[in-house]
Amino acid sequence: MSAGQRQSVVAPVLVCVLALGLWEAVVRINHIPHYILPAPSLVAQTLWTDLPSLLPSMWFTIKITAGALLLAVVGGVLLAAVFASSRRIENAFFPLAIVLQVTPIVAIAPLILIYIESTTVALLICAFIVAFFPILANTVVGLRSADANLRDLFTLYGASRWQRLHLLLVPSALPYFLAGLRIAGGLALIGAVVAEFAAGAAGRETGLASRILEASFRTEIPRMFAALVLVSMVGIGIFLVFDWLARRLLGRWHDTEMHQSSN
Amino acid sequence: MPNLPDPSVALSMQGIGVRFPTGVQALDQLHLELRRGEFLSLLGPSGCGKSTALRLAAGLAQPTTGTMQRAPDMRLGFVFQEPTLMPWATVFDNVRLPLRLQGRSVASVRDEVMQVLDLVGLTEFVNAYPRELSGGMRMRVSIARALATRPNLLLLDEPFAALDEITRGRLDDDLLRIWREQSLTVVFVTHSVYEAVYLSSRIAVFSGRPGRIVESIDIDAALTRDEAFRASERYARWCVQASAQLSRAYA
Repeated sequence: MSAGQRQSVVAPVLVCVLALGLWEAVVRINHIPHYILPAPSLVAQTLWTDLPSLLPSMWFTIKITAGALLLAVVGGVLLAAVFASSRRIENAFFPLAIVLQVTPIVAIAPLILIYIESTTVALLICAFIVAFFPILANTVVGLRSADANLRDLFTLYGASRWQRLHLLLVPSALPYFLAGLRIAGGLALIGAVVAEFAAGAAGRETGLASRILEASFRTEIPRMFAALVLVSMVGIGIFLVFDWLARRLLGRWHDTEMHQSSN
Repeated sequence: MPNLPDPSVALSMQGIGVRFPTGVQALDQLHLELRRGEFLSLLGPSGCGKSTALRLAAGLAQPTTGTMQRAPDMRLGFVFQEPTLMPWATVFDNVRLPLRLQGRSVASVRDEVMQVLDLVGLTEFVNAYPRELSGGMRMRVSIARALATRPNLLLLDEPFAALDEITRGRLDDDLLRIWREQSLTVVFVTHSVYEAVYLSSRIAVFSGRPGRIVESIDIDAALTRDEAFRASERYARWCVQASAQLSRAYA
């Protein structure tokens, strides 16, 4: 690890430790009761003791998020390919995609929960709706971003449609798609959690949002915090995975992933 | 496509007119006959239609009026104003692209790719990515790519305009060497009188809006092009002549 890398790890960790220390101090000095604001040490303790009951919920939330994301990638990319190949189809359907995007998911979720019998499928659809748009929008722009001269070059050498797609359009769209994926990853988690709140704690299998709801009914504030920590950890995990993926795929060639000039 | 009457002609344009959908008449009544082995420069200021003429020659644009004919044995190479490399691909893969688009496997083209890279002096950078190269080196990769299919007609659209003076001079010399060694026919678009005189065996001076060729200047092809040529009186005379015709076209 270079000095620069160490710096980029040390600073955020330091900020985190300081913030937690401050929180702990404020709670202890002011004798704030744990049902109002639990100290980080108590949250950590609750997290440890409640982990066996929280882990299955976390796994459920991860499954919904990942499933919705997978659907959003498949649907978003396919639709983007159609949009990118025809302006007319894009003009006809894009407003619909925007309506879906701008309507808050909390407002749509109750309807979806009424129409769809299976709560799991309903949650999946809600999370999909939120995650889908950034992938669609970014991929459409990405597919159109291919350099005009490179397009001419492909024409000049008589490239087939397939060659044009996988040698020119897909690599050109990749950075845009990955940026969309990063946004969609966070949104899918938000969609999964929000939809579960709208659904209420119901069904045989439920996620972290249901644990938070239950705990709030019983005013188990430390347990609420513990579940919240797990939600954040899922979010951070998603971010790290896609960050790694972007670094891996764009590595040496793209400006966004090159922090130092190699000249 | 009717055959060209004269076998020494590589490409012929007769009464070419191009009108863009915007209504701009880019070219009008353009006549051009390119002979095999020529180094022809199309000289004119920006926006005079010389790039459009080059795109026509490459078949990347179609004329609104007139006819364009290319000898059937002409194999094209095209160099754009920018290096136009694929940033996600190594130098090797960029140069290999035209051969790959012809459906040839990596193994079968490795030697050919290394040969053209040798021609532009970039063999050690075969595994580098474009962003790791300087502007001049990127342009060399672009030239190597254009040469990969062993073309006999090389079309260049102001390829060195964005480079510094020294790099530009070096690439000019490289291009001349490749032109001789590979017995190419070259069409070179430029707005620099000095570059046109230094490189060409013939200069076609464009008038603008609508663009057409108003003058043709022959430069003795047998002359050695080097620093001595640049310093010679004949070079200066040709430069003065080309400049004068250029300003007359825009008077």
